[in-house]
Amino acid sequence: MISFHPTDEEQAFYDLARNFAVEHIRPAARECEANRSVSASIIKMVGELGFSTLELPESWGGLELPLISQVQILQALSYGDLGIVQGLSGPGDTASFIRLQPDHPLLQSYKSSGRNGCWPSVAFIDATDRNATWASELDIRANGSGYIVKGTSQPVRLATSAEYVLIAAVDSKGECVVLWLENKHWEVLKGDFRLGLLAAGLGRLHFPDVHVGAEQVIARGKEASELIANVQQRLRVLEAAKEVGLMEASLNYAIEYTAGRQAFGQEIAKFQGVSFTIAEMAFEFKAAKHLVWQAAIKVDEQASDAEGHALRALSRAHRSLRHVTDCAVQMLGGHGYVQEYPVEKWMRDAQAQVALYGRERDLLVRRGEQIMNRQKERVAQ
Amino acid sequence: MISFELSPQQKQIKELVHWFAKHEIRPIAMEADRLGKVPDEWLNKVNKMGIHLNTSSFSGGGRTAKTGEKNGKKSEKEANRMAVIATEELAWGCPAITLSLPGAGLGGPPIQSSGTPEQKERFLSIFTKDEPRWGAYALTEPEAGSDVSGIRTTARKVDGGYVLNGQKIFITNGARASWTVVFATIDPNMGRAGHRAFVVEKGTPGFSCTRLVHKMGLRANETAELLFENCFVPQENLLGGEELYSTSGNKPSGFQVAMKTFDSTRPIVAAMAIGIARAAYEYTVDLVRKEYPKQGRLYYEAAELLAEAEQDIDAARLLTWEAAWKADIGQPNAMEAAICKAVAGKMALDVCSKCLELLGPIGLDGHLVEKLYRDVKVFDIFEGTQQIQRLVTARRLYAPYGVHV
Ligand SMILES: Cc1cc2nc3c(=O)[nH]c(=O)nc-3n(C[C@H](O)[C@H](O)[C@H](O)COP(=O)(O)OP(=O)(O)OC[C@H]3O[C@@H](n4cnc5c(N)ncnc54)[C@H](O)[C@@H]3O)c2cc1C
Repeated sequence: MISFHPTDEEQAFYDLARNFAVEHIRPAARECEANRSVSASIIKMVGELGFSTLELPESWGGLELPLISQVQILQALSYGDLGIVQGLSGPGDTASFIRLQPDHPLLQSYKSSGRNGCWPSVAFIDATDRNATWASELDIRANGSGYIVKGTSQPVRLATSAEYVLIAAVDSKGECVVLWLENKHWEVLKGDFRLGLLAAGLGRLHFPDVHVGAEQVIARGKEASELIANVQQRLRVLEAAKEVGLMEASLNYAIEYTAGRQAFGQEIAKFQGVSFTIAEMAFEFKAAKHLVWQAAIKVDEQASDAEGHALRALSRAHRSLRHVTDCAVQMLGGHGYVQEYPVEKWMRDAQAQVALYGRERDLLVRRGEQIMNRQKERVAQ
Repeated sequence: MISFELSPQQKQIKELVHWFAKHEIRPIAMEADRLGKVPDEWLNKVNKMGIHLNTSSFSGGGRTAKTGEKNGKKSEKEANRMAVIATEELAWGCPAITLSLPGAGLGGPPIQSSGTPEQKERFLSIFTKDEPRWGAYALTEPEAGSDVSGIRTTARKVDGGYVLNGQKIFITNGARASWTVVFATIDPNMGRAGHRAFVVEKGTPGFSCTRLVHKMGLRANETAELLFENCFVPQENLLGGEELYSTSGNKPSGFQVAMKTFDSTRPIVAAMAIGIARAAYEYTVDLVRKEYPKQGRLYYEAAELLAEAEQDIDAARLLTWEAAWKADIGQPNAMEAAICKAVAGKMALDVCSKCLELLGPIGLDGHLVEKLYRDVKVFDIFEGTQQIQRLVTARRLYAPYGVHV
């Protein structure tokens, strides 16, 4: 039956996360951005509340929540600050690999390193798009039963603090492969990041000429390609959910501000140029949120059209996020542009986020190709 | 639990209505547009089948729901969700024909929400299989559309009832309706508090239809101008009776009747817009699959446009379901109703225009999509323009801050 009611448990999680986001995350946002890392105290609190292990399997001490529950919690946390959420140390995007391969022997040393509840950071490099090779000079060359990893990755989050690296790639022979690196044979190129998500440890990883043995291969060939596809589906939904949280923050902030700010003798909210923009921000926020929820449920159900739902949820979240965060700055006028107010940071973070997680148009085209090639595609449920 | 799964009953209704839309409505859609009306024989036929447009619940679904009640099952109320699901399918067939289906139409919700038990019985029981009948809803006037408080049609209290004078325009099914819910004011100086709603029956002396307008689209659906010249309406046709207007204290109650109606009709109108968009989309997908090259520039352009269309359609549908769901569980849904109507109305026009782009020049020549494009524009206008929906939404968003926008 169609329902938009969270379960009681989800609501409780959401409330907890939202309160934490407002009381602890948001006030720390500027400081973490300046320090280019998330403070240890926040990381500790997030860990204690269980929010760092939403995606991890129970056998790893994680909460192993379905995506539909996770998206609500991530939305609530990102309501505080997306930069901090993306900078939380731990498995990061790799959590989804762990979720799907909890018993893989290669991951067991990482598992034991997190026993005390403090997970070391893992950087995730997605080098599967062979059309985008110009964007990274990372070469994964088959070498006997192993690989040689050479070159520099695209910028990824958690790069600066990573103690492990997981690479999902298409190798020089066109085969999929998932590699696990833990010997720190890489160099972090800290680069010159200024746009946004500055607390997220952005950086490129440079691999001089790293020989990766067969024992460091998590999966290859068809197995790898399926694993990567499943992980990408989950990541698209999870990242989109964070974007929804940032949209909500921007929307609410802009409402409150425009309700109080006066010009021409009245609250600016009373001008339709303002109130209509606010209404449109609400439209976008809600539209994106619903598509994310729907995709979360589809992926949870392992529905055959889950991939399409994940693609479009993220592409819509990107589009809505850019719109809403830009509008928030606009609604504050010059004040929106300066750092006394959070909205300028949110707009920067938003743009960095959409740059890191898949091009909007590319996601759309991928979904469009599915529509055009599948015979019985219907929008109807 | 959050879920977007249709209940078995909803699935059944959806399939049933889709079958009807596909085999009965769609085949005559282009012809009805050319004729500027839905053929009478067709209306007689579907009326005998018991197919009605009742905007507070699709009558097929309504009946099934009633059976459920009789069985004594304590089932969740789902009439609103059922209605938006069914209406989307009907409009997928053709929106002009959907709006012309017999039934209470937009007149249903005010009677259902504000009518006395006798009025409900009297006015809602006439939609029987012997002959097609319609209801209508007349709020708009030449000088009052979006600004409902500006209505000038007067209602003068006389012995045994009221005398109406004034003009209504753009009234859907206004000429053929057996009765019309008419909004008038007992005193223009009282503003909203002076508003009253009357059920005016066809054939009442002093009540006439002066003109049918010709439109960009929805051509098969009648849009009428109505005139009230010293039209006497008996006391028992005052919607809700005198009590409704006296007991509500200083609340502007006639106005409230008009506004409350929108909470249930806007999601329905949104659902129609979604049905139209989906019709255009599916038509275009079929054509693109057959005719487009399988690679290259055009292929990628099509992929992008179609993916965006699909995404927008589903996003609007979820917003509409949310508004209907809120109504079903008895929560205030005015903001959700405004949001889904605003988003769906604009989205649907955009999708139709994307589809026309994909069809190219051949789309101008006898293809359904150009008709849908003409039909759909009004969904951004009636039941509150997209601007008014933004206003309603913004009002609700600013309410917690005590700012009235
Ligand atoms: C085919 C059709 C069927 C219809 N069916 C019915 C029916 O069955 N019953 C019925 O009662 N009416 C019906 N209508 C009327 C319809 O609801 C009105 O046309 C609509 O509400 C707009 O009113 P208006 O035409 O007077 O435009 P106006 O109110 O004059 O609006 C003109 C423009 O000004 C904008 N505007 C107005 N006020 C504001 C504001 N406060 N802030 C910002 N912008 C504003 C509007 O958005 C619009 O863009 C129908 C109309 C059509 C075309």
